[in-house]
Amino acid sequence: MKKSKLLSIITLALMLSMVFAGCTQETPGTPAADFDFDKDITVVARDAASGTRGAFHEIMNIIVKENDTEVDKLVVGALEFDGTDKVITAIEGDKYGIGYISLGSVSERIKAVAVDGVEPTVENVRSGSYSVSRPFLLVTKGTESKLVKDFLKFTESAEGQAITNEMKFIGAIDAPGEYTASGMSGTIKVAGSTSVAPLMEKLQEAYNELNPDVTFETQAQGSSQGIKAAIDGSYDIGMASRELKAEEASELNRYVLAIDGIAVIVNNENPKSDLAADDITNIYIGEITKWNEVK
Amino acid sequence: MQTRQSNFNEIVMQAIFFLSALISVLAVLAICLFLFMRGIPAISEIGFTDFIFNEKWGPVNIPASYGILSMIVGSIYVTAGAIVIGVPIGLMCAIFLSEFCPDNIYKIVKPAVNLLAGIPSIIYGFFGMQVIVPFVRENFGGNGYSILSASIILGIMILPTIISISESSIRAVPESYAEGSYGIGATKEETVFKVMVPAAKSGILTSIILGIGRAIGETMAVVMVAGNAVMPLNKIELLKPIRTLTTNIVTEMSYASGLHESALISTGVVLFVFIIILNASLSLISSKTQRN
Amino acid sequence: MDRTLDNLKQRKVKAFLFKSFVWFCGILTVGILIYILLFILLKGVPKINLKFLFGEYNSETLSVFSSMVTTVQMIVLSLLISVPIGVFCAIYLAEYAKRGNKAVKVIRLAIDTLAGIPSIVYGLFGMIFFVQILGFRASVLSGICTISIMILPVIISSSEEAIKSVPDTYREGSLGLGATRLRTVFRIVLPTAMPGILAGIILAIGRIVGETAALIFTSGTNVLKNPSLNLMASQRTLAIHMYMLASEGLPHSRDMAFATGSILILVVFVVNYATTKLAGRIGRSQ
Repeated sequence: MKKSKLLSIITLALMLSMVFAGCTQETPGTPAADFDFDKDITVVARDAASGTRGAFHEIMNIIVKENDTEVDKLVVGALEFDGTDKVITAIEGDKYGIGYISLGSVSERIKAVAVDGVEPTVENVRSGSYSVSRPFLLVTKGTESKLVKDFLKFTESAEGQAITNEMKFIGAIDAPGEYTASGMSGTIKVAGSTSVAPLMEKLQEAYNELNPDVTFETQAQGSSQGIKAAIDGSYDIGMASRELKAEEASELNRYVLAIDGIAVIVNNENPKSDLAADDITNIYIGEITKWNEVK
Repeated sequence: MQTRQSNFNEIVMQAIFFLSALISVLAVLAICLFLFMRGIPAISEIGFTDFIFNEKWGPVNIPASYGILSMIVGSIYVTAGAIVIGVPIGLMCAIFLSEFCPDNIYKIVKPAVNLLAGIPSIIYGFFGMQVIVPFVRENFGGNGYSILSASIILGIMILPTIISISESSIRAVPESYAEGSYGIGATKEETVFKVMVPAAKSGILTSIILGIGRAIGETMAVVMVAGNAVMPLNKIELLKPIRTLTTNIVTEMSYASGLHESALISTGVVLFVFIIILNASLSLISSKTQRN
Repeated sequence: MDRTLDNLKQRKVKAFLFKSFVWFCGILTVGILIYILLFILLKGVPKINLKFLFGEYNSETLSVFSSMVTTVQMIVLSLLISVPIGVFCAIYLAEYAKRGNKAVKVIRLAIDTLAGIPSIVYGLFGMIFFVQILGFRASVLSGICTISIMILPVIISSSEEAIKSVPDTYREGSLGLGATRLRTVFRIVLPTAMPGILAGIILAIGRIVGETAALIFTSGTNVLKNPSLNLMASQRTLAIHMYMLASEGLPHSRDMAFATGSILILVVFVVNYATTKLAGRIGRSQ
């Protein structure tokens, strides 16, 4: 009887240690510098709501337009995430991954590669040599209230543009004016792009320091939602991180808040640091599936 | 006088009790009515077969396509995976709790199971994204966001349901069954496996069906580990990403409009129909057991 | 003779394997729980600081203060709606309904259905009915209305259990002393059943705190800088705060998602402890 008890305790210990050994194996950062070029590329995209996706797929010709049809050719099996951090997390953990995020969100967790030899830097986006960029738009409908006008004026002022540049976005106003606190009060409702939201938050914080009586209500669920909310009037300002479609543009006032580069990101262990735009397109439409097919 | 007053009170309160009870019925009717009201027209506009039996989902394409077959199949796969992982472990754990567990260990395991039931799904999802996904990637291959990861996390999430209901149904098996089995010389293990568990089978079945219900309806945990790719049927694999009915709704609803929004609500209707079928089979089981 | 001995040995081995597998599964379940808890708490608790707990929300603090206040507000108001309805419904089912009554069958079917509906479907319903048709927009109010329906089955079934477990002798005693049925229910039955009812309420609190899918389209994902009790404002709860932090691209948002997760787990701890304590009291009183 005693023997069997002892035995069962040993078996248990063995089984458990197996389980936990499995669990601890996943700790990342093991110096496995051996990058296997024969492995399949993990393609990471954003959800269809995202303006980053809309802009990126359009610029890289992943969306194919023919006559009246418009088809997103994104490769079958590409991961789709509804947030920038999920994309970063996926690429951070997967040696063979490729994804795209706003330039402002690039951090040391992942590596941003050059496209056609041009580094994704603020300077290159400003000069236009880094071609993968899109505008950050604020849209409103009809005549804005005084308060909304005042806030828009702030975003276009020297102060607002300074914040924009600080966040690694590129201010779009050539000769920004001065802004003086207006002391207004009320609520501004803002909805839209998750990419614009961090910048919007900073702008709101700075604006609040000057005008403490103004409150903001911000919903960040995607560019299309913001545009929709501005059109139906449920929000004062819509944030979009892609160009407006013709039927949207006809109903809205369009303000360019900033220009944002879209960085193509790979895992830190990936030896590639420069990709051809054609290769990126081919990866995203499934023509290239392995890293050794990339030049 | 006083009795008349109290009679009056009695009648009024009884009416209030009854009306309160009716509110659940009203709620169910309202949910059905409004879901179907918004969902059915969309299904008929898309076409029933084009909606249910088409695997192409491209709401932003022009012309758009709204086929959810891939997600129906995805939901079924993920749920089946959860059952394969969760039921054996859960059932064994229930047997452990009801038959083998010493009292002092019971005091640890039982609260642990209850705690497991109380953990919000967002925490399971976050845990899955940070732990299960890399684990699957390192040990099984693929990129980790997969049917397998979703199945593991759902398998863990349905454990408490399976364990507590199975445990109480095994405990409810009359003592005389076990005594009879010991009487003919069976070991404890044989008794449990061949007598107790079969006797408790309707309760165990109930627990499995409730587990299926929880797994098929789970959203936030799955959306973080499944990768959300719409896969054509012939490309669905255990280690490949998948989109389920629930994650389709939650990733796209926020920006959808027009027919796209209605198509997502229709996705909810399909999910609702699944749940109704599960509930119906549950009441079938319970009415059968009552008859026995 | 040899064969039966072999057979016996085989049976013993089988029994042993079975037993160790059963033990393994029991301990595995506890192991999974401990692993999840430690994983979140170890990474989350060190990140918690005063500014995160009680500060104003901004992109630096990512404070949970306003989300916490909204979570509490949501708990209180949705309980105010569903506890009376749920308890009254339970009284009807346990005390007044006649067995085999058609209406009772329908009511029970409805409760079972409500209990089985996934939270994302509640979210869709809330979005269609409260947000769009009734025009509450994405607001705390829409969230509360949706959640109140969602927790109804939890409260009804635990209250009914509790009321049914009150011994009949109590009722007979009270009725025998000349009290009316109503008086018996309110003075004798409900107080005796109170621990069970409370346990149900606490379970419901746990559900509200952890809910995401039903709220994301009804109360929205907005976050207010400072706590507000405005019912018409859109404001996220703790669980949605965690989901948004896990999705946003800010450098420290993932750390703060761990921290928010730790707070959620602490709440779950308290809720579970309270439920077990109350359930223990019912067990002892019988």
